[in-house]
Amino acid sequence: MKHEILYPGAFPMVRVELAAGETIKAESGAMVASSPTIDIESKMEGGFLGALSRKLLTGEKFFFQTLRASRGAGEVLLAPTVPGEIVIMELDGLNEYMVQKDGFLAGSESIKIESQMQSLSRGLLGGEGFFILKVSGKGSLILNSFGAIHKVELKPDQEYIVDNSHLVAWSGTTSYHIERAASGWVASFTSGEGFVCRFRGPGVVYIQSRNPGSFGAWVRQFIPVSE
Amino acid sequence: MGSATAPTSPNALCFSDGLPSTGLPCHVEISADGLTVRFDEHNGLGDVNLPFRALSVSAGGLNHDQLVVRWGTAPSTQTVYLKDPSLIRTFRSAAPPELMKELDATAAAVRRARSRNRMAWGITAAAIGALMVGIWFSMDLLVGWAVDRIPLDWERRIGESAYQDFLIQHPAVKDGPAVAAVQEISERLIAHIPGNPYTFEVAVVKSEVVNAFALPGGYVVVFTALLQQAENAEEVAGVLSHELNHVLERHALQRIVKQLGLVTTVGIIIGDQQGLARVMKQIGVELLSLKFGRSQETEADVTGLQLLHRSHIDPSGMITFFQRMTQKERGGVEWLSTHPMSAGRAQRLEAEIARLPKTAAEPFTFKWNTVQDALRPVAVRG
Repeated sequence: MKHEILYPGAFPMVRVELAAGETIKAESGAMVASSPTIDIESKMEGGFLGALSRKLLTGEKFFFQTLRASRGAGEVLLAPTVPGEIVIMELDGLNEYMVQKDGFLAGSESIKIESQMQSLSRGLLGGEGFFILKVSGKGSLILNSFGAIHKVELKPDQEYIVDNSHLVAWSGTTSYHIERAASGWVASFTSGEGFVCRFRGPGVVYIQSRNPGSFGAWVRQFIPVSE
Repeated sequence: MGSATAPTSPNALCFSDGLPSTGLPCHVEISADGLTVRFDEHNGLGDVNLPFRALSVSAGGLNHDQLVVRWGTAPSTQTVYLKDPSLIRTFRSAAPPELMKELDATAAAVRRARSRNRMAWGITAAAIGALMVGIWFSMDLLVGWAVDRIPLDWERRIGESAYQDFLIQHPAVKDGPAVAAVQEISERLIAHIPGNPYTFEVAVVKSEVVNAFALPGGYVVVFTALLQQAENAEEVAGVLSHELNHVLERHALQRIVKQLGLVTTVGIIIGDQQGLARVMKQIGVELLSLKFGRSQETEADVTGLQLLHRSHIDPSGMITFFQRMTQKERGGVEWLSTHPMSAGRAQRLEAEIARLPKTAAEPFTFKWNTVQDALRPVAVRG
């Protein structure tokens, strides 16, 4: 499977070249175009209960689409819903990644996607919800972000602070806890940050340059209120 | 550092300065003396043999599910992250007593963290459960508060639109003995409502369905078939008294507010009465298909009987009409679908009548036969 990011920046697409018989799984609705040799199947990753739990728990789509080059080699174009960058990672079978619910765009057939429950404080205040996706296995993982995507590399015990809602994915070797952005409760909220995630290495953290929730609130003020 | 050996499949990640931040895949082997870390040949790194005494351990990773083995002194500390449970078990069984202590302390810390997490979830679930139960049981109280805050004017507007819509489809009988009789009965009853805030409107509608209903704001509709089925004016008075009391007790509003749910209820309590009509429209609450609850029926029965008594109308008409309709009912008596006459209900009504002091009933000015005679040709022609 070969892949390439087209039009890098705010409105990118991924071109994935599949050899005959190869498959890729993608977020439902992610396909933009494909060769006529590619068949689209809808699949409940992890079976019905797995799909149901992913839908109910993470808010991810119930079905993933499976794009199979069943009638010969071909290519698929994939794109996310929101404007923002795409990043492709190669999983080595040892590194696992935690991905916030809207971050997954596509992945090789061989990668495994599960829902993972977060601790109460992380779920409540981390901005990613109570459940996130745990992606493991060996193969390509394609993530998308809202805005630009930025990779932070952390050495063992190195700490880094990320505002909640800016997280896209982080490696399983990192840990994080939620804390107030400033020392006082009032200052935490008046600073506009509220809660932040303090990450501790080793590992990598992918962050997005825009906060979807804040963007939504900003857009809302321009929507006329209908009576 | 030993010599490089044949590559083996990696089972751990090694971290240190100079290695990638995602860790370098390596193969960890555990022996009785310590552990050996092997790297792929192409990395140019040789094997590392480490005796147990050179190691320290801790838990790592997002869920503390990885064993972090550390060696060397800062700033050249190196760590491997072991995730494979069987590898961690092998490490534990080979570890000397002093390292076991550290391992046990680490495991205890992880267990404590996990049980704290579970406890936090448990407490939250219990708190949410308690809140739901509390809301469920105090819902009637909340609805009561909310309904008290709805101005009469609003209630009237809600009822009026449904009343007008109904009358467009089902024209009211304008005059005649039936209308006069219903007016006289209603006026007698309304005159005996203490502190009545409503201006009642009672309409007679030509229909072969035996029915009568009340809308919020004081709009009452009686169908001609109900008048035909009644054996005397007291029975009609019983039905009317019951319906008037649904209005007086604001039962329809209570049902609406309950149907609209908690958000609207709280909204009304906080002061957003204006939104009620809009929300009703949005979710399509049909006033005409609104059914009252059993407790509301009982309340309307009891207060209805008291009103009949105060108005010097024989209250037993209420019971006889319900009972006769129930026996007779084989479809077409719509009123009974919302007012089922159970044995318990009849007994309750009789007990209530027995409790009321005996007073002499005052007759009406019309003859019931005349009313029914007047209805018959109307029904035939219709």
